[in-house]
Amino acid sequence: MKILKSWLNDWIDLEAISTDDISEALESLGFEIESRTDKTPNYKNITVGKVLEIYEHPNADKVRVTKVDVGSKTYEIVCGAWNFDVGAVVPVALPKSEIKDGFKIDKRDIRGVESNGMICSASELDLWDDHAGILKLSDETKLGSDFAKIYNSTDTLWEIGVTPNRGDCMSHLGIARELSNYFNLTLKENSQSLKSNIESVIKVNSGKIKACNSYQSIEIENFTLSDSNLNIRYRLSSIGVRVINNVVDYTNYVLHDIGQPLHAFDRDKLFGTISVRFAKDKENLKTLDEQERKLTSEDLIITDNNKPIALAGVMGGYDTEVTDTTTNLLIESAYFDKVSIMKTSRRLNLISDASIRFERGIDFNLQKQGLQRFVNLFENDQEINYSSIIDSSKNGISYDSISFDKNEIEQILGVKLDDNFIRNTLIKLQIESEVSDKKIKFESPSWRYDLERPIDLIEELAKHYGFNNFESTLPIGNNLNSTGDYWDKRIYLSEKLSSTNFYEIQTLSFTDSLSNELFTPEKISVSVINPIDQTQENLRTNLLTSLINTYKFNIESNGKSHRYYEINNVYDDSKHKKFKIIPNQEYSLGLLIPENETVEDRKGITKTNNINTLANAIKNLFPSSELEHLTRPGFHKNYSYLIKLDNKILGFMGKLSYKIQSKLELDDSLYISQINTENFNFDQLKAFTYKPLSAYPFIKFDLSFSVPNDFQASDLINCIESILSKNENNISIFDNFTNEKTRNLGIRIVTRSYEKTYTETESTEILEMIVKEAESKFKIKLNTKDENAT
Amino acid sequence: MPELNFDKVLASLKLRLDEVVDESEFDEILKEYAGKDSLLSVERKNLSNLSNEDKKVYGETLNNVNKSIVTNIKKAKEKFINNKYASLEDEENDDITIDWITNTGTHRHILSQVMDEVVNIFASIGYKVAYGPEVETSWHNFDALNTPDWHPARYESDTLYTDNDLETLLRTQTSTVQIRHMEENDPPVYIVAPGRVFRSDQLDATHSPVFHQLEGLAVDKNLKFTDLKGTLEYFVKQFFGEDIETKFIPHFFPFTEPSAEVLVKWKNGEWLEILGCGMVDPNVLNHVGYSDEYQGFAWGVGIERLAMLKYQVDHIKNFYDNDLRFLEQF
Repeated sequence: MKILKSWLNDWIDLEAISTDDISEALESLGFEIESRTDKTPNYKNITVGKVLEIYEHPNADKVRVTKVDVGSKTYEIVCGAWNFDVGAVVPVALPKSEIKDGFKIDKRDIRGVESNGMICSASELDLWDDHAGILKLSDETKLGSDFAKIYNSTDTLWEIGVTPNRGDCMSHLGIARELSNYFNLTLKENSQSLKSNIESVIKVNSGKIKACNSYQSIEIENFTLSDSNLNIRYRLSSIGVRVINNVVDYTNYVLHDIGQPLHAFDRDKLFGTISVRFAKDKENLKTLDEQERKLTSEDLIITDNNKPIALAGVMGGYDTEVTDTTTNLLIESAYFDKVSIMKTSRRLNLISDASIRFERGIDFNLQKQGLQRFVNLFENDQEINYSSIIDSSKNGISYDSISFDKNEIEQILGVKLDDNFIRNTLIKLQIESEVSDKKIKFESPSWRYDLERPIDLIEELAKHYGFNNFESTLPIGNNLNSTGDYWDKRIYLSEKLSSTNFYEIQTLSFTDSLSNELFTPEKISVSVINPIDQTQENLRTNLLTSLINTYKFNIESNGKSHRYYEINNVYDDSKHKKFKIIPNQEYSLGLLIPENETVEDRKGITKTNNINTLANAIKNLFPSSELEHLTRPGFHKNYSYLIKLDNKILGFMGKLSYKIQSKLELDDSLYISQINTENFNFDQLKAFTYKPLSAYPFIKFDLSFSVPNDFQASDLINCIESILSKNENNISIFDNFTNEKTRNLGIRIVTRSYEKTYTETESTEILEMIVKEAESKFKIKLNTKDENAT
Repeated sequence: MPELNFDKVLASLKLRLDEVVDESEFDEILKEYAGKDSLLSVERKNLSNLSNEDKKVYGETLNNVNKSIVTNIKKAKEKFINNKYASLEDEENDDITIDWITNTGTHRHILSQVMDEVVNIFASIGYKVAYGPEVETSWHNFDALNTPDWHPARYESDTLYTDNDLETLLRTQTSTVQIRHMEENDPPVYIVAPGRVFRSDQLDATHSPVFHQLEGLAVDKNLKFTDLKGTLEYFVKQFFGEDIETKFIPHFFPFTEPSAEVLVKWKNGEWLEILGCGMVDPNVLNHVGYSDEYQGFAWGVGIERLAMLKYQVDHIKNFYDNDLRFLEQF
């Protein structure tokens, strides 16, 4: 919402207060400052003149020659606008003046006539967009006055955020009321009482409907549709409201001045009695914007003779609108229920300055003042006849008084507020209250529907006390340095993976239905009923597609092939295990290792990975996990495994199937895995004990065995481990060579006794024992020529 | 008394030492000048032929000569070795800047790093991590958080729903975890809940349909507005540095009262909002059945917002494109 300093000044005397101080006050009262503009005239030396004569230009028919009196002197000025007559009072740019954007005005010959400057339009003075021609000023403006001084040309404009609970602050009066307490100023009274001089013609009966608590109207006869005065137009255009004509400008002005939306009907287009009701289904109304609207039983409407004429609080009807030929008016000032206005406005996507105010709740006692202000503004510009106010109100709204223990203030805020501060604040905010030793009793004024509970008043007091005036204390919670299992697991996985060259990624949770089908066809996707677009209509049932997409993106755009992981939720349509109403969600880890991995050195070597690289990564994360072969969609027939930990399924891993690899146009094979982090706990991972370090030297054997193709290396390693179970061992496979006929497995055994240094003889005995045991147990053969014991 | 010219001997030793090309020569030289067959040894053997007086004088001379030979050789050897390694190191003078510009970061996503950092700050003052589902009930996302049916936040345009009755949705705020946690745990509560939230926005420079928040909640006996202030000031100082200025301005959230926004004064003097907070609304505590002797405060902070401020990231899209050029910077 935009507010002007000069306009606020109508309500409280801000002359002596600096703009910075006002900004600070606004912010400290909870109005976020989105912008502040210090306005100065975008012109120089413009004066006020009166057109004395107009005559034809001898050599041009598109312009006229005028004689303009600027008080001290009369000038001849050529003018191309035709919207004024003799007698018009206008802004004049004499020689040596400047109009918008520094454009200098001087004497100029126009087709043989010397023009002493120009008569200005509002756009030429950078006031507002106006293509009607010259800006016409009030006849009473003193000739020769400095134009910049006849309105508040030097001013400040703020754009502020008003929180949705403060409908009462959506006007200059509302903001001024808040500031009056902050600066300890008195709020002024601006409405003058009315003296009607005609009888009203139209009957008003707002009926029994609760959604319209108050409906008041006034009729105006014999008015001239014209421009509103300079001040009103300046203020409205400054706050971003388009100036149209006096009737529209006055309604808009009242709305921004005191917060009461008004609507002007052409009285001569109304018949019978005006009433308010909810629409019937299939009823129609053509609104001001010439759209035919289908109404529903949730739409509150204004009717005459039971026929819809306006969408209450949202938009007027086309058939009853004020036009150039309108001579008599009926002005509506009403209080509509916020929920019904909101429903209609949102359903039809019609959001107006009026609907926004009704939605947030306007002052339920403001309707009469709204009409008074309208007539005051009108009377100020021209003589009009008007009726008395027709009031069809129910007075169905009232606020109870609330009483609470004064100690509650300190209990919530941590600071004891002084009785005088409390009393003065409530008086300035016009909140009726009694403050005694122990209790505070208050009654909310008609514009403050947000003050319903003691906490609401406590917040109000805290705000006016100033949040930054409270001291700060630091309480310590009850979970010192224990982040909990959920977070510990996340950190454990991240640290391990990031330290082994995996890059962590964060991808969106949405996907199309195809990607889910690819790897997890057994799961039914959770769909978004109002998706952002078709590629984001489902929540992902797996993390694999995003990993592959990231891999592919970085190959294509950066020429780099890396490992990736992501820890995030996957979703499916089965019931959530714990909270039945919502879909199942599993906090999961996804891994991807490419066949050829870019290594960061200058030789440009790529590291080659295979299924064992992934198996090793899994083992590194879950040392006591097991793999179990199980073919699954999207995976290589053989390289597809379940990952189990203590007989519980953790997830799956394997090689991307060649079919999908080719479909996704990937040159390299990918090794991928997904793990449900909810199927293990952090303590389980840390449940191992340290292997003590032997103080004796190691002995090392590199052995090569001839083994069958389906032989599992881990069986041999386990066998040797058990032979050397009393030692500290490090057993690894250093070679695995396969051709059509044979497979050779190279195994490296590094072992140390905890008790002694092995002699050469003992060492040989150990070697022989291992070979003998392995050969007899697995029916494999040691390749003697490769034997190498050290 | 023999008159051997030891100066000559020492001079010849010096010349010999200057000619050394290999470290092993020093032992040979020592042998040659002070060994069994050296001139010095011969002279020593001749000592027995001298008178006691002369023996004493000449013996001392011989000892001095021996000392001088040994010292000269030792010094020369030391110098030789020093020179040898010095010239070895002289030859090695590679360009140190070759890999100076390479940066592959920590391999952790910046959003995770920021979440960790924030979590750790709160863990250090006694908060534990809590979590809740991302696909939530409307009740947890709105009603329980004192956001009734007619509230603008409930309009479909902002919220992504997963069923036609609008009963389940993608949570729009991590505040849902407040409710989930309090439903299952008795007070006192000191938790933070980092996680994903969702809005109906296309991914572009300034919007993302997915982003991260960290919710904080403290409920205990006697927690006051002053405690809220102290806690969040502590966080801001830990995260942005001791010198950062903060201020609290009033705001509105349906589930807290009083509500505030915290602003920090940025380097250019501009005040920037970084988090929303407030005292938990009594209605929220009623919804989860906490007795009224408990009260507390809550806050929510945008993780992307913190990352964007701290590292001057200007496109939110960067966080979700996972371009290695971006990932490697952190």
